[in-house]
Amino acid sequence: MPNKWRQALRNPLALSGFIIIFGILLLAILAPLIAPYDPNAIDVKAILLPPSLQHPMGTDGLGRDVFSRMLFGARISLLVGIVAVGIATSIGIVLGAISGYYRGWVDVVIMRLVDVMLSIPTFFLILAVIAFLTPSIWNIMIVIGLTSWMGVTRLVRAEFLSLRGREFVMASETLGARDFRMIFIHMLPNSLTPIMVSFVLGVASAVLVESGLSFLGLGVQAPQASWGNILTDGKEYIQFAWWLSLFPGVAILLTVLGYNLLGEGLRDVLDPRTTNTR
Amino acid sequence: MERPLLLKYLSLRMGIMLSLGLLLTACSKAPSGNAADFDQSYPPSSGGTLIDATAGEPSGLIPMIAGEAAASAVASNIFNSLLKYDKNLELQGELAQSWSVSPDQKTITFKLKPGLKWADGKPLTSADVLFTWKLVTDDNTRTPYGSDYKLVIRAETPDPATFKVSYANPYAPALDSWAGLQILPEHLLKGQDINTTSFRFKPVGSHYYKLEEWKPGERISLVRNPNSTQGPPRIDRLVSRFIPDPAAQFLELLADNIDSMTLNPIQYSRIVPSREDLQKKLALYKELGNNYTYLGFNLKHKPFDDIRVRQAINYAIDKQELIDGVLLGLGEPVSSPYKPGTRWTNPDLSPYPYDPNKAISLMQAAGYTGRDNEGYLLRDGKRLRFDILTNQNKQREMSAVLVQRRLKEIGIDANIRVMEWASFIGRFIKTGDFDVVLLGWGLSLDPDQYNIWHSSQQAPGQFNFIGYNNPRVDKLLEQGRLELNPDKRMKIYHEFASILLADSPIVYLYAGYGLPAIHKRVKGIDNPAPPAGIGYNSYDWYIPPPLRRNEISQ
Repeated sequence: MPNKWRQALRNPLALSGFIIIFGILLLAILAPLIAPYDPNAIDVKAILLPPSLQHPMGTDGLGRDVFSRMLFGARISLLVGIVAVGIATSIGIVLGAISGYYRGWVDVVIMRLVDVMLSIPTFFLILAVIAFLTPSIWNIMIVIGLTSWMGVTRLVRAEFLSLRGREFVMASETLGARDFRMIFIHMLPNSLTPIMVSFVLGVASAVLVESGLSFLGLGVQAPQASWGNILTDGKEYIQFAWWLSLFPGVAILLTVLGYNLLGEGLRDVLDPRTTNTR
Repeated sequence: MERPLLLKYLSLRMGIMLSLGLLLTACSKAPSGNAADFDQSYPPSSGGTLIDATAGEPSGLIPMIAGEAAASAVASNIFNSLLKYDKNLELQGELAQSWSVSPDQKTITFKLKPGLKWADGKPLTSADVLFTWKLVTDDNTRTPYGSDYKLVIRAETPDPATFKVSYANPYAPALDSWAGLQILPEHLLKGQDINTTSFRFKPVGSHYYKLEEWKPGERISLVRNPNSTQGPPRIDRLVSRFIPDPAAQFLELLADNIDSMTLNPIQYSRIVPSREDLQKKLALYKELGNNYTYLGFNLKHKPFDDIRVRQAINYAIDKQELIDGVLLGLGEPVSSPYKPGTRWTNPDLSPYPYDPNKAISLMQAAGYTGRDNEGYLLRDGKRLRFDILTNQNKQREMSAVLVQRRLKEIGIDANIRVMEWASFIGRFIKTGDFDVVLLGWGLSLDPDQYNIWHSSQQAPGQFNFIGYNNPRVDKLLEQGRLELNPDKRMKIYHEFASILLADSPIVYLYAGYGLPAIHKRVKGIDNPAPPAGIGYNSYDWYIPPPLRRNEISQ
């Protein structure tokens, strides 16, 4: 495995993705140290100033420093992305493992549930659910998590189905290993690769969903900054205050691109089927 | 060998392109040379087309049925009322030549002007007025405007030029209500279902303009009505284009495709002044705002039933900061629920000054004596914590952020919750399930605000949703409706406003100005705007022939 990681970082796609993600993570973590201003500090005398040395990304409609808000917004976007996909992945692993290990009617029930969930457009499902709850970052994480576990479930189930017939699994079954041990000690570690790839790709789409929700006013609530709601603020002044639309737009683009590159790169390296063809 | 040839070729091409370019600029110079003269003055003349934009397409042009702003904006050029407001907001006859109030103040008699005609040439008589009154009070008519007219116990037409209404009790807002009812033609509507009649798509009125064409999804155009009861307007044709997105409206204004729109403060004081080409062609106006924004408390919830808490919050909010920050200075502080500067506004009142120390001592008096380690005030170990609810409206959201910051400074923990309008009204306002709202009230010209402040108006769906209940105010509101003498009436509403301010059931935040921008080709507009706003004499506006746009023939 460590060898494969090194191999992964030698892949230019994965490496560039990794650098982007690492850079944004670093900025997000160090936000309180880097940010030149309090992200919520209002200054009505400095409304909509263009980028300058004092305000590297200009100021918004209430005179708040956009650069500081972008940094703190990065924390929200990444936190929502990672926690939401963490929830989705955990659910997916458990359901997928049960489904793929036990097969039979359990498998049928879980797979039909997956089909039902997949038949509903996720973003609209999220919109509908959020409309009933108080919008807050915790609710958003949970809702995104609860509505995007289906892919992982299918993935894990497929892995388990193929592992089920392998010799080492049969061997431990013959030796009388319990179900729990079979699932978590023998089979799960062997299906981690696709899970990891789908986790990384999932974060990218969760970041997009969060930005979309905040853009529609259903995500992170004012005055808290998130890239999505900085973008909404900018929409109104787009011909005049380009900096309010450009920077959050580019940040979302880079983050999503970074996660996608990293995910694709990891898949290329870790998936034996694709490595062999290269 | 090749290179020099290529260079030659290139330079030849560039020479041609350059000269073409020169030609082109020479061509486009001509009209813009004209455009530089937008500031020149011209004698009044008739003709031309004025194009404006409305955010929505009207559902129909019968104002009492349609209800939306887009419909009433267009319909107000087609239909007349008995009365109207002049530039100083005094009542004046429109269809009525004169009116008189009986000594017991229960009967009003309107005398119509002689020789009134509908656009189709048929005479307009008091029978049409009676017909319209019957329509608006008919329970089968789906209109939200019936309540004022249902107070009329008897309406008569002694002769074709006289219309007489009687009330059970004197009703002071009556005259105002007759300025709001647009008269419909009986001969075209008799026997039809007013809710569904096709008249709403091909209205016939009596005002300056009549409908020329309605292109669904695109535009409504009105053309001068030769039988206008108010004399001829100067501009030939009014076109209203339907452009839902305000940002798109602004682009159309910049591109010269519309002549007027209402700007937001950023467009008004930042974008237009920063561009010389826009300053050359756009004239900016400033009107008294017709609504105010407020922070309202749910008086049935603790601790907002405590006047000290409400006053403390009032002192803690810096209204000037809101005006500077949200409106870029384009607004006024408010201390009466009336248009600033009009007679109903009590001149002796001024807003609560920004005084955080006073706010804190009031909070302490109300029992908030402790402080937690984050600096929030505590009573019985608990913070004062609530949601400020508002709808998706940029100015209100920004105001909420500023208010929240000031409240935090004195130790109150407020959260902001922004919602879509329908769910906001349905889930929170109608059910009374809220602590604090940030909303606005429109300012009508009659001072009667019984619906908003009287303690009897608290049922779900009624307007006193904050639960305000003050016996003295109830009394004044009842008196104000019965008093027809304007001076006595003014005293009543001045006292009402001062009690309201002291009680602080809402915190007045600001009244923003109306900020219309109109292309400089349109002349004859009053600047500065009179109390009624610039639109009061739109019939007198004109577009000098050299400045008219080339009419697009279709």
